[in-house]
Amino acid sequence: MTSVAPQKSKSGFDFSNYSRNHFLDGKGLGGFTATSTGTTIVGLIYKDGIVLGADTRATEGPIVADKNCEKIHYISDNIRCCGAGTAADTEFVTALISSNMQLHALHTGRKPRVVTAMTMLKQRLFQYQGHIGAALVLGGYDATGPQLFTVAPHGSTDKLPYVTMGSGSLAAMAVFESGWHKDMEQKEAVDLVVAAISSGIFNDLGSGSNVDVCIIKKDSTEMLRNYVMPNERAKKEQKYGFAKGTTRFTKEHIYSMIQKEDVFEVGSTAPTPAPLPAAAAGAGGEETMDTS
Amino acid sequence: MSDITTLNGGSCIAFKGKNCVAIACDLRLGNQALTVACNRDKVFKITDKTYLGMTGLASDVDTLRSAFRYRLNMYRMKEEREIEPETFAHLVSSTLYEKRFGPYFIEPIIAGLNSNNEPFIAAADLIGCLNFAKDFVVTGTASDKLFGMAEGLWEPDLGPEELFESISQALLGALERDALSGWGAIVRVITPDKVIERTLQSRQD
Amino acid sequence: MSAGAGESAYSFSLTTFSPSGKLVQIEHALAAVSQGTTSLGIKASNAIVIATEKRAPSPLVDDTALEKVSVICPNIGIVYSGMGPDFRVLIAKARKSAQAYWKIYGEYPPTRVLVQEIATVMQEATQSGGVRPFGVSLLVAGYDSARGPSLYQVDPSGSYFMWKASAIGKNMTNAKTFLEKRYNDDISLEDAIHTALLTLKEGFEGQMTEKTIEIGIIGTSTVGPVGGSGLKAPLFKKLTEAEIKDYLAL
Repeated sequence: MTSVAPQKSKSGFDFSNYSRNHFLDGKGLGGFTATSTGTTIVGLIYKDGIVLGADTRATEGPIVADKNCEKIHYISDNIRCCGAGTAADTEFVTALISSNMQLHALHTGRKPRVVTAMTMLKQRLFQYQGHIGAALVLGGYDATGPQLFTVAPHGSTDKLPYVTMGSGSLAAMAVFESGWHKDMEQKEAVDLVVAAISSGIFNDLGSGSNVDVCIIKKDSTEMLRNYVMPNERAKKEQKYGFAKGTTRFTKEHIYSMIQKEDVFEVGSTAPTPAPLPAAAAGAGGEETMDTS
Repeated sequence: MSDITTLNGGSCIAFKGKNCVAIACDLRLGNQALTVACNRDKVFKITDKTYLGMTGLASDVDTLRSAFRYRLNMYRMKEEREIEPETFAHLVSSTLYEKRFGPYFIEPIIAGLNSNNEPFIAAADLIGCLNFAKDFVVTGTASDKLFGMAEGLWEPDLGPEELFESISQALLGALERDALSGWGAIVRVITPDKVIERTLQSRQD
Repeated sequence: MSAGAGESAYSFSLTTFSPSGKLVQIEHALAAVSQGTTSLGIKASNAIVIATEKRAPSPLVDDTALEKVSVICPNIGIVYSGMGPDFRVLIAKARKSAQAYWKIYGEYPPTRVLVQEIATVMQEATQSGGVRPFGVSLLVAGYDSARGPSLYQVDPSGSYFMWKASAIGKNMTNAKTFLEKRYNDDISLEDAIHTALLTLKEGFEGQMTEKTIEIGIIGTSTVGPVGGSGLKAPLFKKLTEAEIKDYLAL
């Protein structure tokens, strides 16, 4: 096969560093922390469709790596997927399935279905036996109506009217269990999702910052990024400004991207650099010009 | 401390400014507590207006540097254009994720101006999870200290000279408290018409 | 275009040049293309239009399933003249290639890059054992930030050209002559669609209706959201039968 892009292995993964890293592990030098989304993600079915919700904190051990990341991933126009777990895995597994869904839709000429995405995701995750650390909430609206699933990292799935995932799932589920009922109105449904995510944000250390919401109905998908921002940093009253010259430096090099060119007519001799006074301004053509 | 990502030490930071970005790194190369060199630049030029900083295992930094040089040269020839910083960030991300189950022990940051001269910064973890920040990104053994410094010193809409002072003080402040980074620093401020590269004096211990 | 008597000995070995320097199988492939129904493409000032005649081999065929203009990725579409089955294979490969590019760079390929990919696949079929050249010529319409709207033609040999306007298939010579007379550098998309229809009409056998032609467009007027990001970009769009009917009525 030909490709413009650097070649990827057949499986999509390259294990060439694996034995080296395993060796380092044995020497006690191994171990690494990838960014994870501790995360509270939720979804519910309401009267007209699906509401998905997510917090926006990404962590690297005890450090907050990203205060406002996006955890509601695009699968197709009518399907979205919330991701918890290893951040890179949720990002790439949803991108892969989004890509395959687009090929599938072009091939079949139909609007993609949520079960199709769910099946692709669970097969991929099962194949990797949990090593792709993605815990997902998949929701969408298709020919068969509103659909909501969870997909666990090992590939098992659930089909329920209201679901939560991630480290804040218990906090969020407590809210759903007491507040969810059949055929909720949109406002009611969005408020319940916000309450569930907020419960995760404030009670689970792995979750934090803002609430992202996505409403998927029969003919529309509305992504409400940072729908609620309960943790805005208070505005600094004053600035830490440093006067120019505060930082001592020993060397300076400036790479200019402006090219100075001397332009003169073919056949004429290179003009002397002395600029002509105003009288020559109208002459044009013959004298040196600086063009940037 | 006997972790492969902290073996060689070193840190990087990038700030977004108004029509400009800055990227800075320390110059130390160590072998655990032993300092081996103090001229180890960790920021590499990608295009005239895009720079890549990599910290972590020094040998992996070198390997990836040549891997990216290859990929960028191929891109330039095939597409007959320079890569945009956003596109380059995705290239870095997919290159790292390809090695999901046997990663390179590096964490990259990217800073640049795109073809409309809009500032762009991004960071990734060692398996390529991108973080598009609107303010600053940090990486390396001093990253937790740099987070603190940047949260305090970063301001929106800083011009090139203000940005230089701000990022320099953030980096120098963090280097004061990181045993594994230091021994000089280089700051690069990228503006639409020039790149200002300055070498800072810092503690040598 | 048929191989001369002296060249017949070289007609069946794909990878052997005839003494006059021809690979006759490639010329035969071009002959297959020129038996196909006419397709054409026109570059407008800020858009591309591609159009084709779509004819079922028999009135008994259910033509609702026929498709000659295909979407490759949001910013690129292709039309062909020649052998339908060969086209399908190329479409599948082109779509995969576009997605592979997206997975690496987070954006869809520029038209030129995708064209080079397809051209490489087609070239390989002229130099590999056990295969024959693809019996299609393609017109590729795309829009990208690097070059704006662009129109390419790819031939069975794997050669590709960038055009302001071109035609392939049965009526290509007449259509090209017509386009040469008609073409103007700064025409709007609407004008380009009309020119496309007028060109197709030349030498059209039978009635030209919304059922017997297909049209695809892309340009600054077909902008829509790409993927989940709020970013908008020109999208390749096939005109519906109703839309084509409106253009024909004008």
